[in-house]
Amino acid sequence: MAVLEVERLSKVFGTGETAVHALREVTVSVDAGELAALLGPSGSGKSTLLLCTSLIEPPSAGAIAVRGRAVWRDGAALVDARRFRRENIGFVFQGHNLIPFLTAEENVALAMQLAGVGRREAARRARDLLGYLEVGHRAGALPATLSGGERQRVAIGRALANEPPIVFADEPTAALDTERGMKVMALLRRVAREKRSAVIAVTHDERMIEGFDTVYEMNDGRLAQKLHAPAPWKRAPHPSTAAAPSGPASSWA
Amino acid sequence: MDLALRDVRRHAGKFVATSAGVGMLLAIVLVMNGIYRGNIFDGVWLIDNTRADLWVVEHGRGGPFNESSRMSGEAHRSVAAVPGVARASPFIAYAAQRSLAGASQQFTIVGYDVFGGLGGPGRLAAGRGIEAAHREAVVDARLGLALHESFALGAHAYTVVGLTRGAVDPAGNPLVYLSLPDAQEVLYQQDSHALVAARAASARRLERAGFGSAEAARLLPLLAPSSATVNAVLVEVAPGRDVEDVRRHVQQWLHFSAYTAEEERNLMLEGRLKKMSAVLGLFRSLLVVVSIVIIALIVYVLTIEKIRPIATLKLIGASNATIVRMILEQSLLLTAGSFAVAYALLQLVRERFPRTLILLPEEIALTFAVMLAGGVLASFLAIAHALRTPPSLALGS
Repeated sequence: MAVLEVERLSKVFGTGETAVHALREVTVSVDAGELAALLGPSGSGKSTLLLCTSLIEPPSAGAIAVRGRAVWRDGAALVDARRFRRENIGFVFQGHNLIPFLTAEENVALAMQLAGVGRREAARRARDLLGYLEVGHRAGALPATLSGGERQRVAIGRALANEPPIVFADEPTAALDTERGMKVMALLRRVAREKRSAVIAVTHDERMIEGFDTVYEMNDGRLAQKLHAPAPWKRAPHPSTAAAPSGPASSWA
Repeated sequence: MDLALRDVRRHAGKFVATSAGVGMLLAIVLVMNGIYRGNIFDGVWLIDNTRADLWVVEHGRGGPFNESSRMSGEAHRSVAAVPGVARASPFIAYAAQRSLAGASQQFTIVGYDVFGGLGGPGRLAAGRGIEAAHREAVVDARLGLALHESFALGAHAYTVVGLTRGAVDPAGNPLVYLSLPDAQEVLYQQDSHALVAARAASARRLERAGFGSAEAARLLPLLAPSSATVNAVLVEVAPGRDVEDVRRHVQQWLHFSAYTAEEERNLMLEGRLKKMSAVLGLFRSLLVVVSIVIIALIVYVLTIEKIRPIATLKLIGASNATIVRMILEQSLLLTAGSFAVAYALLQLVRERFPRTLILLPEEIALTFAVMLAGGVLASFLAIAHALRTPPSLALGS
C-alpha cells in the first residue's frame, strides 16, 4: 500500500528570467515498509522534494497524498502543515539536530509531548523507544556527551516518536564513518520493516546504496531513473503476517 | 516540557554569570532610585524635623538654606511680640569642615535656644538633649563620636550628651547641635593672627579719619564685628491662629521675609534640589533604558544561539506558542534573576553607602514591574526573529 504518493509535483523559485525550476513534474510513490533512497548531485532537487512533500516549502504545482488522503492539491495545503508534520513525518538529519539542552530521553519525549502525549507517558515511551534503538543506557545523557552513532540513534528515536507513516532522512550517514553508517542504515531498515514506516533518505553516500529497497536518482529537478526495483527479500513483510525474512547475506542486517 | 527552564538548568553557569552582570546594572538603577529619594529626603530633613510653622529670615532673602540670611540676635524678641505667635526662637546653621573623631569631616552646626526654643534635634537615638548653656553637644552618629566623648571645636571642648541617627543638612552632611551662643562663638571666633590683622586695619582706618593713636585704640572695640547675629527666627503659631495672618504681620511690620514650612520645603525642592533631582532622575531613566536594551540584546543573542534548535522544533511540529513561551520565559527568568541579584547587592551596600538611600517598597516593586515589562518588550525582537526562521534551516537549506 502506498503511504506517500506524489503526482506531477513542481517547484519554481523566483519568476521570469531568474526562475529556477527545482522540481519538474515529479511523480513517485513509496510503500509502507519501503526503504527508498533519493540520489543525485547537489541542486538536483532532492532536498526540495523533501521540503515540498513535508509542506515546509509550498509546491508550485502537483499533488501530494499520504495514506490515500490528499494533503496538497491545486496549489493549496489541505491540512495544517505543522500538525501534518507532527503526526505523519519523522525527520532524521545529517547533523542529528538534537536539542542540545535536552537529554536523549527528553529529545524523544518532546516530540511526543508536542503531539499531545502526557509528560509521564511520553517519558516512559521515550525510554522504551531508546531501548529498542539500543541506546536506552544513554537516556539521561546530553547530546554533547553522546557519540555520533548514538546521537543518530536518538535522532531516529525522535523521528519515530509518534510512529509516523513516513520518515525522511536527510544524509543520515554522511557524518558517520562506514561502520557507524552501516549500523544506522541497518537501523533504518529495521524501522521500515518493523514499524512499517516508509523511510525516504536523501543521500550522496554511495557506500550505502546497496542497503535500499528502491533507489531513485534525481537530476535537474526530474526523477530521472529508478536504479533498481525493490527486491522481494528486501521488502518488509507486515509483522502480523510473517516473521522478518533473513534474505541473502547482507551487511545491512 | 518546559524548554526555557531546561535550557537555563543546562547552562546554569552562563545564566548565573549573565544574571550577575545585568544584576549589577540593575543594582545601580536601584541605588540611583535610592539616591534620588535620599537626596529629596536629606534636602528637607532639617526643615521637616524643625517643625516650625514659619521661617522668618532677612528681608528679601530666600534663606536660610538656599541663600545666606543675617538677622539681629534680638530679632526673635520682636517676632515673639507679633499677635498669634506662641514661640519665636533664634536659629543658626552653617557648614563646617573640621577634624572630628580623627578625620577631617564636613558637617553642619545648628545653634538653637536650648531652653525651650524651637530647632532642636528632636528624637534622639541615645543620650539626652542639651541642658547646659555651654559646652554640650548633640551629634549625629555618622560623625563617629561616642556618647560622653569630648571633641574640640574652635577654642573649646564639647561633650557629646546625645546622639541622633540620620540628622542631616540639605547636602546630606551630619548635624552637630550646639547651644546658640556656642554655635555663634564657633562661627565668629577668629584666629589670633586674623584678629590682630583686623584690629590693625581698623586702627589704620581710624587714624586716616583723623583720630590719634590713643583715641583710635580706645574706639577699636566699637568696630569689632558683631557675633550676635542669627540666620533665622523659627515661629510656632498659637493654636487656632492663622499662619497667614502672622506671616503678613511679620512681613509688613517687622520688614522680614517669612515662609511657611511648606514654602520653605518648596524653596528647597524647587531651588537647590531641583537640578540635582533632575540629573538623578535622568540618570535613573537612562539606566532603566540601558538595562532593558542590554536584556534585549542578551535575550536576542540567546535566541540566535538557539536558532537551529528552534528551526528543528518548528520542523517537528512545535507550535509558535511553544517557541514564544520559551523565549519569553527565558527573558522573564533573566530579568527576575538579575533583579534578585540587584536586590541582594543593594542589601549589602545600603548600610555602608556614603549617601542616604531611601528605598520605598512600592518604588522597588514598580522598578521590578518596569524591568519585567521591558524584558517582555525586549524579547519581541528575538521572538520576531525566531518566528521568521524557516523550519528548513534545520535541514541546512
